[in-house]
Amino acid sequence: MLGKLHNMRVPAPGGGGLGRGIAAAGWPVSIATVFLFLPSPAHAMHISEGILPFPWALAWFVVLVPFLALGIRQLNALAREDLSMKPLVGLLTAVVFIISCMPIPVPTAGTCSHPCGTGVSAILVGPMVSVIIAAVSLLIQALFLAHGGLSTLGANTLSMGVVGSFAGWFAFRALRRVGGSLALAGFIAGLVADWATYATTSLLLALGIRGESPLWPLVVKIVIAFLPTQLPLGILEGVITAGMVTLLYRKRPDLLVKMRVITEKEVPGNA
Amino acid sequence: MHHHFNAYRHHAAHPLASVDARVKLVSALALLVMVLSSQGVAFPLAVAALGLALCLHLGTPLRILALRFSEPLFIAVMVLALKTFFSGTIPMFSIGVAGWELVGHRDGLAAGLLIAGRILGGVSLLAVVGFSTPFTELMAALSWLRVPQVLVDIALFAWRYLFLLLEDAQVVYNAQKNRLGYVGCRRALSSLGTLAGVLVIKAFDNSQSITTAMVQRGYDGAMPASVHRPLRAVEVGSAFLLVSAIAVLRLMS
Repeated sequence: MLGKLHNMRVPAPGGGGLGRGIAAAGWPVSIATVFLFLPSPAHAMHISEGILPFPWALAWFVVLVPFLALGIRQLNALAREDLSMKPLVGLLTAVVFIISCMPIPVPTAGTCSHPCGTGVSAILVGPMVSVIIAAVSLLIQALFLAHGGLSTLGANTLSMGVVGSFAGWFAFRALRRVGGSLALAGFIAGLVADWATYATTSLLLALGIRGESPLWPLVVKIVIAFLPTQLPLGILEGVITAGMVTLLYRKRPDLLVKMRVITEKEVPGNA
Repeated sequence: MHHHFNAYRHHAAHPLASVDARVKLVSALALLVMVLSSQGVAFPLAVAALGLALCLHLGTPLRILALRFSEPLFIAVMVLALKTFFSGTIPMFSIGVAGWELVGHRDGLAAGLLIAGRILGGVSLLAVVGFSTPFTELMAALSWLRVPQVLVDIALFAWRYLFLLLEDAQVVYNAQKNRLGYVGCRRALSSLGTLAGVLVIKAFDNSQSITTAMVQRGYDGAMPASVHRPLRAVEVGSAFLLVSAIAVLRLMS
Protein backbone atom coordinates (compact mmCIF):
# COMPACT_ATOMS: atom_id res chain seq x y z
CA MET A 1 0.00 0.00 0.00
CA LEU A 2 2.77 2.41 0.84
CA GLY A 3 3.97 2.03 -2.72
CA LYS A 4 0.55 3.07 -3.94
CA LEU A 5 0.34 5.78 -1.31
CA HIS A 6 3.52 7.39 -2.45
CA ASN A 7 3.22 6.95 -6.15
CA MET A 8 2.76 10.68 -6.64
CA ARG A 9 6.21 11.30 -5.28
CA VAL A 10 9.69 11.04 -6.69
CA PRO A 11 10.77 7.40 -6.27
CA ALA A 12 13.41 7.00 -3.63
CA PRO A 13 16.66 5.15 -4.34
CA GLY A 14 15.99 1.50 -4.33
CA GLY A 15 12.59 2.29 -5.76
CA GLY A 16 9.33 0.56 -5.17
CA GLY A 17 6.92 0.74 -2.32
CA LEU A 18 6.50 -1.39 0.70
CA GLY A 19 3.63 -3.35 -0.79
CA ARG A 20 5.62 -4.21 -3.89
CA GLY A 21 8.62 -5.04 -1.77
CA ILE A 22 6.61 -7.50 0.27
CA ALA A 23 5.33 -9.10 -2.87
CA ALA A 24 8.84 -9.29 -4.28
CA ALA A 25 9.99 -10.93 -1.08
CA GLY A 26 7.74 -13.79 -2.03
CA TRP A 27 5.01 -13.53 0.53
CA PRO A 28 2.79 -16.54 0.49
CA VAL A 29 -0.06 -15.44 -1.69
CA SER A 30 -2.18 -18.42 -2.59
CA ILE A 31 -3.37 -19.02 -6.10
CA ALA A 32 -5.33 -22.10 -5.21
CA THR A 33 -7.89 -21.45 -7.89
CA VAL A 34 -9.79 -24.55 -6.94
CA PHE A 35 -11.24 -22.53 -4.10
CA LEU A 36 -12.68 -20.13 -6.63
CA PHE A 37 -15.34 -22.70 -7.22
CA LEU A 38 -16.36 -22.89 -3.62
CA PRO A 39 -19.65 -21.21 -2.90
CA SER A 40 -18.35 -18.39 -0.75
CA PRO A 41 -19.20 -14.71 -0.70
CA ALA A 42 -16.58 -12.18 -1.65
CA HIS A 43 -15.56 -9.67 0.93
CA ALA A 44 -12.61 -7.76 2.26
CA MET A 45 -11.38 -8.31 5.74
CA HIS A 46 -13.18 -5.06 6.37
CA ILE A 47 -16.77 -5.82 5.55
CA SER A 48 -17.59 -3.55 2.64
CA GLU A 49 -20.16 -0.77 2.75
CA GLY A 50 -23.59 -2.06 1.85
CA ILE A 51 -23.02 -5.78 2.35
CA LEU A 52 -24.80 -6.00 5.70
CA PRO A 53 -28.56 -5.41 5.73
CA PHE A 54 -29.59 -2.43 7.85
CA PRO A 55 -30.88 -4.39 10.90
CA TRP A 56 -27.60 -6.30 11.20
CA ALA A 57 -25.48 -3.20 10.67
CA LEU A 58 -27.41 -1.48 13.45
CA ALA A 59 -27.22 -4.51 15.74
CA TRP A 60 -23.41 -4.57 15.62
CA PHE A 61 -23.28 -0.87 16.50
CA VAL A 62 -25.44 -1.60 19.55
CA VAL A 63 -23.16 -4.47 20.61
CA LEU A 64 -20.13 -2.22 20.16
CA VAL A 65 -21.42 0.67 22.28
CA PRO A 66 -20.48 -0.71 25.75
CA PHE A 67 -16.93 -1.47 24.61
CA LEU A 68 -16.56 1.99 23.11
CA ALA A 69 -17.95 3.58 26.27
CA LEU A 70 -15.51 1.67 28.49
CA GLY A 71 -12.63 2.51 26.17
CA ILE A 72 -13.51 6.21 26.19
CA ARG A 73 -13.80 6.17 29.97
CA GLN A 74 -10.41 4.52 30.36
CA LEU A 75 -8.74 6.83 27.86
CA ASN A 76 -10.19 9.91 29.55
CA ALA A 77 -8.91 8.65 32.91
CA LEU A 78 -5.44 8.00 31.49
CA ALA A 79 -5.42 11.41 29.78
CA ARG A 80 -6.18 13.12 33.08
CA GLU A 81 -3.07 11.50 34.59
CA ASP A 82 -0.84 12.01 31.57
CA LEU A 83 -1.50 14.75 29.02
CA SER A 84 0.51 12.91 26.37
CA MET A 85 -1.95 10.00 26.26
CA LYS A 86 -4.31 11.44 23.65
CA PRO A 87 -1.53 12.43 21.23
CA LEU A 88 0.06 9.03 21.81
CA VAL A 89 -3.16 7.16 21.09
CA GLY A 90 -3.67 9.36 18.02
CA LEU A 91 -0.22 8.46 16.72
CA LEU A 92 -0.74 4.77 17.48
CA THR A 93 -3.98 5.05 15.51
CA ALA A 94 -1.94 6.32 12.57
CA VAL A 95 0.46 3.35 12.99
CA VAL A 96 -2.44 0.87 13.04
CA PHE A 97 -3.92 2.65 10.02
CA ILE A 98 -0.67 2.21 8.09
CA ILE A 99 -0.28 -1.45 9.10
CA SER A 100 -3.88 -2.26 8.19
CA CYS A 101 -3.51 -0.59 4.79
CA MET A 102 -0.99 -3.12 3.47
CA PRO A 103 -3.12 -5.14 1.03
CA ILE A 104 -2.48 -8.79 0.29
CA PRO A 105 -4.59 -10.33 -2.49
CA VAL A 106 -7.09 -13.07 -1.58
CA PRO A 107 -7.92 -14.71 -4.91
CA THR A 108 -10.22 -17.23 -3.28
CA ALA A 109 -12.38 -14.51 -1.77
CA GLY A 110 -12.08 -12.12 -4.69
CA THR A 111 -10.64 -9.29 -2.67
CA CYS A 112 -7.67 -8.10 -0.60
CA SER A 113 -6.74 -8.84 2.94
CA HIS A 114 -4.27 -7.20 5.31
CA PRO A 115 -2.77 -7.32 8.80
CA CYS A 116 -4.92 -5.85 11.58
CA GLY A 117 -2.40 -4.08 13.81
CA THR A 118 -4.68 -4.27 16.81
CA GLY A 119 -2.52 -6.92 18.47
CA VAL A 120 0.27 -4.34 18.62
CA SER A 121 -1.96 -1.61 20.01
CA ALA A 122 -3.60 -3.94 22.56
CA ILE A 123 -0.21 -4.95 23.96
CA LEU A 124 0.88 -1.33 24.28
CA VAL A 125 -2.21 0.49 25.52
CA GLY A 126 -4.56 -2.30 26.59
CA PRO A 127 -7.58 -3.77 24.83
CA MET A 128 -10.09 -1.09 25.80
CA VAL A 129 -8.11 1.82 24.37
CA SER A 130 -7.24 -0.41 21.42
CA VAL A 131 -10.97 -0.52 20.60
CA ILE A 132 -10.87 3.27 20.22
CA ILE A 133 -7.79 3.03 18.00
CA ALA A 134 -9.47 0.48 15.75
CA ALA A 135 -12.71 2.47 15.56
CA VAL A 136 -10.99 5.70 14.52
CA SER A 137 -8.67 3.95 12.09
CA LEU A 138 -11.64 2.20 10.46
CA LEU A 139 -13.62 5.45 10.34
CA ILE A 140 -10.87 7.22 8.39
CA GLN A 141 -10.49 4.25 6.05
CA ALA A 142 -14.24 4.16 5.42
CA LEU A 143 -14.52 7.87 4.72
CA PHE A 144 -11.47 8.32 2.52
CA LEU A 145 -10.39 4.98 1.11
CA ALA A 146 -13.70 3.09 0.70
CA HIS A 147 -12.21 0.31 2.85
CA GLY A 148 -15.04 -0.92 5.01
CA GLY A 149 -17.88 1.53 5.40
CA LEU A 150 -19.91 3.69 7.73
CA SER A 151 -22.76 1.20 7.97
CA THR A 152 -20.31 -1.66 8.64
CA LEU A 153 -18.17 0.34 11.07
CA GLY A 154 -19.85 -1.37 14.03
CA ALA A 155 -19.24 -4.88 12.68
CA ASN A 156 -15.69 -4.12 11.58
CA THR A 157 -14.77 -2.47 14.88
CA LEU A 158 -16.31 -5.36 16.77
CA SER A 159 -14.20 -7.93 14.93
CA MET A 160 -10.95 -6.00 14.58
CA GLY A 161 -11.13 -3.73 17.62
CA VAL A 162 -12.92 -5.76 20.26
CA VAL A 163 -12.26 -9.42 19.43
CA GLY A 164 -8.82 -8.83 17.87
CA SER A 165 -7.61 -6.61 20.69
CA PHE A 166 -8.89 -8.77 23.52
CA ALA A 167 -7.67 -12.00 21.94
CA GLY A 168 -4.21 -10.55 21.38
CA TRP A 169 -4.02 -8.96 24.81
CA PHE A 170 -5.16 -12.09 26.67
CA ALA A 171 -2.72 -14.26 24.71
CA PHE A 172 0.15 -11.89 25.46
CA ARG A 173 -0.65 -11.58 29.16
CA ALA A 174 -1.23 -15.31 29.61
CA LEU A 175 2.06 -16.23 27.99
CA ARG A 176 3.97 -13.61 29.97
CA ARG A 177 2.38 -14.87 33.16
CA VAL A 178 3.60 -18.41 32.54
CA GLY A 179 7.10 -17.15 31.78
CA GLY A 180 6.98 -16.86 27.99
CA SER A 181 9.54 -14.56 26.40
CA LEU A 182 8.50 -11.19 24.98
CA ALA A 183 9.15 -12.41 21.45
CA LEU A 184 7.05 -15.56 21.87
CA ALA A 185 4.24 -13.71 23.64
CA GLY A 186 4.30 -10.99 20.96
CA PHE A 187 4.24 -13.54 18.16
CA ILE A 188 1.31 -15.49 19.60
CA ALA A 189 -0.55 -12.26 20.43
CA GLY A 190 -0.26 -11.01 16.84
CA LEU A 191 -1.21 -14.42 15.46
CA VAL A 192 -4.22 -14.86 17.71
CA ALA A 193 -5.41 -11.27 17.20
CA ASP A 194 -5.32 -11.72 13.43
CA TRP A 195 -6.99 -15.10 13.30
CA ALA A 196 -9.62 -14.14 15.88
CA THR A 197 -10.45 -11.05 13.82
CA TYR A 198 -10.95 -13.09 10.67
CA ALA A 199 -12.99 -15.75 12.43
CA THR A 200 -15.27 -13.05 13.84
CA THR A 201 -15.53 -11.25 10.50
CA SER A 202 -16.58 -14.56 8.91
CA LEU A 203 -19.24 -15.09 11.55
CA LEU A 204 -20.62 -11.54 11.29
CA LEU A 205 -20.71 -11.75 7.51
CA ALA A 206 -22.44 -15.10 7.53
CA LEU A 207 -25.04 -13.83 9.98
CA GLY A 208 -25.67 -10.82 7.77
CA ILE A 209 -25.91 -12.44 4.36
CA ARG A 210 -27.11 -15.98 4.97
CA GLY A 211 -30.78 -15.29 4.32
CA GLU A 212 -32.53 -18.64 4.71
CA SER A 213 -29.32 -20.68 4.48
CA PRO A 214 -27.99 -22.55 7.52
CA LEU A 215 -25.40 -20.49 9.43
CA TRP A 216 -22.46 -22.74 10.23
CA PRO A 217 -21.86 -24.24 6.78
CA LEU A 218 -21.72 -20.70 5.45
CA VAL A 219 -19.29 -19.62 8.20
CA VAL A 220 -17.06 -22.57 7.34
CA LYS A 221 -17.15 -21.66 3.63
CA ILE A 222 -16.14 -18.07 4.36
CA VAL A 223 -13.35 -19.21 6.68
CA ILE A 224 -12.11 -21.65 4.02
CA ALA A 225 -12.15 -18.89 1.42
CA PHE A 226 -9.83 -16.80 3.57
CA LEU A 227 -7.62 -19.64 4.82
CA PRO A 228 -5.02 -19.58 2.04
CA THR A 229 -4.22 -15.98 2.88
CA GLN A 230 -5.11 -15.77 6.52
CA LEU A 231 -2.94 -18.65 7.68
CA PRO A 232 0.29 -17.03 6.45
CA LEU A 233 -0.99 -13.53 7.15
CA GLY A 234 -1.59 -14.42 10.80
CA ILE A 235 1.97 -15.69 11.01
CA LEU A 236 3.15 -12.48 9.33
CA GLU A 237 1.26 -10.41 11.85
CA GLY A 238 2.74 -12.49 14.67
CA VAL A 239 6.25 -11.89 13.36
CA ILE A 240 5.62 -8.15 12.99
CA THR A 241 4.29 -7.96 16.54
CA ALA A 242 7.18 -9.98 17.95
CA GLY A 243 9.69 -7.88 16.01
CA MET A 244 8.10 -4.69 17.29
CA VAL A 245 8.10 -5.81 20.92
CA THR A 246 11.68 -7.09 20.87
CA LEU A 247 12.91 -3.94 19.12
CA LEU A 248 11.26 -1.80 21.79
CA TYR A 249 12.79 -4.01 24.49
CA ARG A 250 16.28 -3.64 23.02
CA LYS A 251 16.15 0.04 22.07
CA ARG A 252 13.56 1.69 24.31
CA PRO A 253 12.64 -0.51 27.30
CA ASP A 254 11.54 2.66 29.12
CA LEU A 255 8.55 2.86 26.79
CA LEU A 256 7.50 -0.70 27.61
CA VAL A 257 7.81 0.11 31.32
CA LYS A 258 5.73 3.25 30.87
CA MET A 259 3.02 1.26 29.08
CA ARG A 260 3.22 -1.42 31.80
CA VAL A 261 4.17 -4.11 29.32
CA ILE A 262 7.22 -5.03 31.42
CA THR A 263 8.31 -4.08 34.93
CA GLU A 264 11.39 -2.07 35.95
CA LYS A 265 13.05 -5.30 37.03
CA GLU A 266 12.82 -6.73 33.54
CA VAL A 267 14.69 -3.82 31.95
CA PRO A 268 18.09 -5.01 30.66
CA GLY A 269 20.72 -4.21 33.29
CA ASN A 270 18.19 -3.89 36.13
CA ALA A 271 17.77 -7.61 36.79
CA MET B 1 -3.36 7.72 -0.29
CA HIS B 2 -2.34 11.32 -0.66
CA HIS B 3 -4.45 11.65 -3.78
CA HIS B 4 -7.43 10.17 -1.93
CA PHE B 5 -7.04 12.59 0.95
CA ASN B 6 -6.14 15.56 -1.20
CA ALA B 7 -8.99 15.00 -3.64
CA TYR B 8 -10.96 17.71 -1.89
CA ARG B 9 -8.67 20.46 -3.16
CA HIS B 10 -9.83 19.69 -6.73
CA HIS B 11 -13.39 20.50 -5.75
CA ALA B 12 -13.06 23.37 -3.31
CA ALA B 13 -14.70 25.79 -5.77
CA HIS B 14 -17.73 23.56 -6.44
CA PRO B 15 -21.03 24.71 -4.89
CA LEU B 16 -21.41 21.34 -3.15
CA ALA B 17 -18.12 21.95 -1.33
CA SER B 18 -19.55 25.06 0.30
CA VAL B 19 -22.59 23.21 1.68
CA ASP B 20 -22.35 22.70 5.43
CA ALA B 21 -20.69 19.38 6.28
CA ARG B 22 -23.47 18.61 8.79
CA VAL B 23 -26.12 18.88 6.09
CA LYS B 24 -24.14 16.66 3.72
CA LEU B 25 -23.41 14.06 6.39
CA VAL B 26 -26.98 13.81 7.69
CA SER B 27 -28.37 13.63 4.14
CA ALA B 28 -25.86 10.95 3.21
CA LEU B 29 -26.69 8.92 6.33
CA ALA B 30 -30.43 9.15 5.59
CA LEU B 31 -29.87 7.97 2.02
CA LEU B 32 -27.54 5.23 3.25
CA VAL B 33 -30.27 3.85 5.50
CA MET B 34 -32.66 3.87 2.53
CA VAL B 35 -30.11 2.07 0.35
CA LEU B 36 -29.39 -0.58 2.97
CA SER B 37 -33.04 -1.28 3.68
CA SER B 38 -34.01 -1.37 0.02
CA GLN B 39 -35.49 -4.65 -1.19
CA GLY B 40 -35.14 -3.87 -4.88
CA VAL B 41 -32.02 -3.26 -6.93
CA ALA B 42 -33.29 -0.23 -8.84
CA PHE B 43 -33.07 2.21 -5.94
CA PRO B 44 -29.49 1.42 -4.81
CA LEU B 45 -28.32 1.54 -8.43
CA ALA B 46 -30.07 4.88 -8.96
CA VAL B 47 -28.35 6.28 -5.86
CA ALA B 48 -25.04 4.89 -7.12
CA ALA B 49 -25.57 6.61 -10.48
CA LEU B 50 -26.50 9.87 -8.75
CA GLY B 51 -23.44 9.67 -6.51
CA LEU B 52 -21.15 8.89 -9.41
CA ALA B 53 -22.59 11.76 -11.45
CA LEU B 54 -22.05 14.13 -8.52
CA CYS B 55 -18.46 12.94 -8.14
CA LEU B 56 -17.85 13.61 -11.83
CA HIS B 57 -19.58 16.98 -11.63
CA LEU B 58 -17.36 17.85 -8.69
CA GLY B 59 -14.48 17.46 -11.14
CA THR B 60 -12.96 14.42 -9.52
CA PRO B 61 -10.20 13.10 -11.78
CA LEU B 62 -11.15 9.76 -13.31
CA ARG B 63 -8.01 8.13 -11.96
CA ILE B 64 -8.91 9.02 -8.38
CA LEU B 65 -12.50 7.93 -8.95
CA ALA B 66 -11.32 4.62 -10.39
CA LEU B 67 -9.00 4.06 -7.42
CA ARG B 68 -11.78 4.83 -4.95
CA PHE B 69 -14.28 2.52 -6.63
CA SER B 70 -11.94 -0.27 -7.68
CA GLU B 71 -12.15 -2.36 -4.51
CA PRO B 72 -15.92 -2.00 -3.91
CA LEU B 73 -16.59 -2.60 -7.60
CA PHE B 74 -14.47 -5.74 -7.55
CA ILE B 75 -16.27 -6.98 -4.45
CA ALA B 76 -19.64 -6.20 -6.04
CA VAL B 77 -18.77 -8.12 -9.21
CA MET B 78 -17.51 -11.09 -7.20
CA VAL B 79 -20.64 -11.11 -5.03
CA LEU B 80 -22.76 -11.00 -8.16
CA ALA B 81 -20.89 -13.89 -9.79
CA LEU B 82 -20.78 -16.05 -6.69
CA LYS B 83 -24.41 -15.47 -5.81
CA THR B 84 -25.48 -16.21 -9.39
CA PHE B 85 -23.55 -19.43 -9.70
CA PHE B 86 -23.46 -20.77 -6.15
CA SER B 87 -26.77 -19.83 -4.61
CA GLY B 88 -30.36 -19.96 -5.73
CA THR B 89 -32.53 -22.78 -7.01
CA ILE B 90 -34.05 -21.62 -10.31
CA PRO B 91 -31.68 -22.41 -13.22
CA MET B 92 -31.38 -19.66 -15.79
CA PHE B 93 -28.34 -20.50 -17.97
CA SER B 94 -25.21 -22.58 -17.86
CA ILE B 95 -21.64 -22.10 -19.08
CA GLY B 96 -18.73 -24.47 -19.35
CA VAL B 97 -15.45 -23.50 -17.72
CA ALA B 98 -12.47 -25.87 -18.00
CA GLY B 99 -14.70 -28.89 -18.10
CA TRP B 100 -16.94 -27.65 -15.30
CA GLU B 101 -20.54 -26.76 -15.94
CA LEU B 102 -21.53 -23.66 -14.01
CA VAL B 103 -25.25 -23.07 -13.68
CA GLY B 104 -26.48 -19.53 -13.21
CA HIS B 105 -29.61 -19.15 -11.07
CA ARG B 106 -32.27 -16.52 -11.50
CA ASP B 107 -32.87 -16.00 -7.77
CA GLY B 108 -29.12 -16.04 -7.08
CA LEU B 109 -28.62 -13.34 -9.70
CA ALA B 110 -31.36 -11.23 -8.11
CA ALA B 111 -29.81 -11.58 -4.64
CA GLY B 112 -26.36 -10.78 -6.01
CA LEU B 113 -27.62 -7.72 -7.88
CA LEU B 114 -29.27 -6.43 -4.71
CA ILE B 115 -26.09 -6.75 -2.62
CA ALA B 116 -23.92 -5.35 -5.44
CA GLY B 117 -26.32 -2.42 -5.81
CA ARG B 118 -26.21 -1.71 -2.09
CA ILE B 119 -22.41 -1.78 -2.10
CA LEU B 120 -22.18 0.65 -5.01
CA GLY B 121 -24.92 2.91 -3.65
CA GLY B 122 -23.32 3.11 -0.22
CA VAL B 123 -19.82 3.69 -1.53
CA SER B 124 -21.04 6.40 -3.93
CA LEU B 125 -22.69 8.30 -1.09
CA LEU B 126 -19.54 8.21 1.02
CA ALA B 127 -17.46 9.22 -2.00
CA VAL B 128 -19.57 12.35 -2.57
CA VAL B 129 -19.21 13.34 1.08
CA GLY B 130 -15.49 12.54 1.16
CA PHE B 131 -14.68 14.34 -2.10
CA SER B 132 -16.64 17.47 -1.23
CA THR B 133 -15.71 17.94 2.43
CA PRO B 134 -12.38 18.60 4.16
CA PHE B 135 -11.47 16.14 6.91
CA THR B 136 -11.58 18.73 9.68
CA GLU B 137 -15.10 19.82 8.70
CA LEU B 138 -16.25 16.20 8.69
CA MET B 139 -14.84 15.74 12.18
CA ALA B 140 -16.57 18.93 13.34
CA ALA B 141 -19.82 17.59 11.87
CA LEU B 142 -19.36 14.30 13.73
CA SER B 143 -18.76 16.28 16.90
CA TRP B 144 -22.00 18.18 16.27
CA LEU B 145 -23.76 14.84 15.81
CA ARG B 146 -22.69 14.00 19.39
CA VAL B 147 -19.98 11.53 18.46
CA PRO B 148 -17.86 11.42 21.66
CA GLN B 149 -15.31 14.23 21.60
CA VAL B 150 -12.43 11.94 22.52
CA LEU B 151 -12.99 9.96 19.29
CA VAL B 152 -12.94 13.16 17.28
CA ASP B 153 -9.76 14.31 19.08
CA ILE B 154 -8.01 11.01 18.37
CA ALA B 155 -9.07 11.16 14.72
CA LEU B 156 -7.68 14.70 14.41
CA PHE B 157 -4.36 13.68 16.00
CA ALA B 158 -4.15 10.59 13.77
CA TRP B 159 -4.94 12.65 10.69
CA ARG B 160 -2.36 15.31 11.55
CA TYR B 161 0.49 12.83 12.01
CA LEU B 162 -0.46 10.11 9.56
CA PHE B 163 1.56 11.57 6.73
CA LEU B 164 4.62 12.19 8.89
CA LEU B 165 4.58 8.53 9.92
CA LEU B 166 4.13 7.48 6.29
CA GLU B 167 7.19 9.52 5.37
CA ASP B 168 9.12 7.87 8.21
CA ALA B 169 7.93 4.43 7.14
CA GLN B 170 9.04 5.05 3.56
CA VAL B 171 12.48 6.31 4.66
CA VAL B 172 13.05 3.29 6.92
CA TYR B 173 11.74 0.92 4.26
CA ASN B 174 14.04 2.33 1.60
CA ALA B 175 17.00 2.14 3.97
CA GLN B 176 16.18 -1.49 4.74
CA LYS B 177 15.68 -2.33 1.09
CA ASN B 178 18.98 -0.72 0.08
CA ARG B 179 20.66 -2.97 2.66
CA LEU B 180 18.97 -6.06 1.18
CA GLY B 181 16.53 -6.17 4.06
CA TYR B 182 13.83 -7.71 1.91
CA VAL B 183 15.89 -10.39 0.21
CA GLY B 184 14.49 -13.71 1.31
CA CYS B 185 11.49 -14.48 3.43
CA ARG B 186 13.24 -14.61 6.79
CA ARG B 187 15.04 -11.27 6.40
CA ALA B 188 11.89 -9.67 5.04
CA LEU B 189 9.95 -10.79 8.10
CA SER B 190 12.62 -9.47 10.41
CA SER B 191 12.76 -6.15 8.53
CA LEU B 192 8.98 -5.74 8.70
CA GLY B 193 9.06 -6.30 12.46
CA THR B 194 11.80 -3.71 12.80
CA LEU B 195 9.83 -1.29 10.62
CA ALA B 196 6.76 -1.65 12.83
CA GLY B 197 8.92 -1.18 15.94
CA VAL B 198 10.56 1.96 14.56
CA LEU B 199 7.14 3.41 13.73
CA VAL B 200 5.95 2.78 17.29
CA ILE B 201 9.10 4.39 18.74
CA LYS B 202 8.61 7.41 16.49
CA ALA B 203 4.96 7.58 17.54
CA PHE B 204 5.99 7.60 21.20
CA ASP B 205 8.69 10.23 20.71
CA ASN B 206 6.48 12.44 18.56
CA SER B 207 3.66 12.24 21.09
CA GLN B 208 5.98 13.53 23.81
CA SER B 209 7.23 16.48 21.74
CA ILE B 210 3.71 17.25 20.51
CA THR B 211 2.42 17.30 24.08
CA THR B 212 5.23 19.60 25.20
CA ALA B 213 4.51 21.98 22.35
CA MET B 214 0.77 21.90 23.00
CA VAL B 215 1.12 22.40 26.76
CA GLN B 216 3.22 25.48 26.05
CA ARG B 217 0.27 26.78 24.04
CA GLY B 218 -2.22 26.14 26.82
CA TYR B 219 -3.29 22.52 26.17
CA ASP B 220 -4.91 21.07 29.29
CA GLY B 221 -6.19 17.79 27.85
CA ALA B 222 -9.21 19.23 26.06
CA MET B 223 -9.07 20.23 22.42
CA PRO B 224 -10.75 23.52 21.50
CA ALA B 225 -14.40 22.94 20.70
CA SER B 226 -15.32 23.10 17.04
CA VAL B 227 -17.06 26.31 16.12
CA HIS B 228 -20.08 25.82 13.89
CA ARG B 229 -21.61 28.58 11.86
CA PRO B 230 -25.41 28.67 12.08
CA LEU B 231 -27.12 26.26 9.74
CA ARG B 232 -28.48 28.05 6.68
CA ALA B 233 -32.19 27.52 6.12
CA VAL B 234 -31.69 27.29 2.35
CA GLU B 235 -29.19 24.44 2.71
CA VAL B 236 -31.25 22.54 5.26
CA GLY B 237 -34.46 23.05 3.27
CA SER B 238 -32.85 21.98 -0.03
CA ALA B 239 -31.32 18.88 1.55
CA PHE B 240 -34.62 18.00 3.21
CA LEU B 241 -36.48 18.35 -0.08
CA LEU B 242 -33.88 16.29 -1.95
CA VAL B 243 -33.86 13.47 0.61
CA SER B 244 -37.67 13.53 0.83
CA ALA B 245 -38.01 13.37 -2.94
CA ILE B 246 -35.61 10.43 -3.08
CA ALA B 247 -37.53 8.73 -0.27
CA VAL B 248 -40.78 9.14 -2.19
CA LEU B 249 -39.12 7.74 -5.32
CA ARG B 250 -37.90 4.79 -3.28
CA LEU B 251 -41.37 4.11 -1.95
CA MET B 252 -42.76 4.29 -5.47
CA SER B 253 -40.10 1.90 -6.79
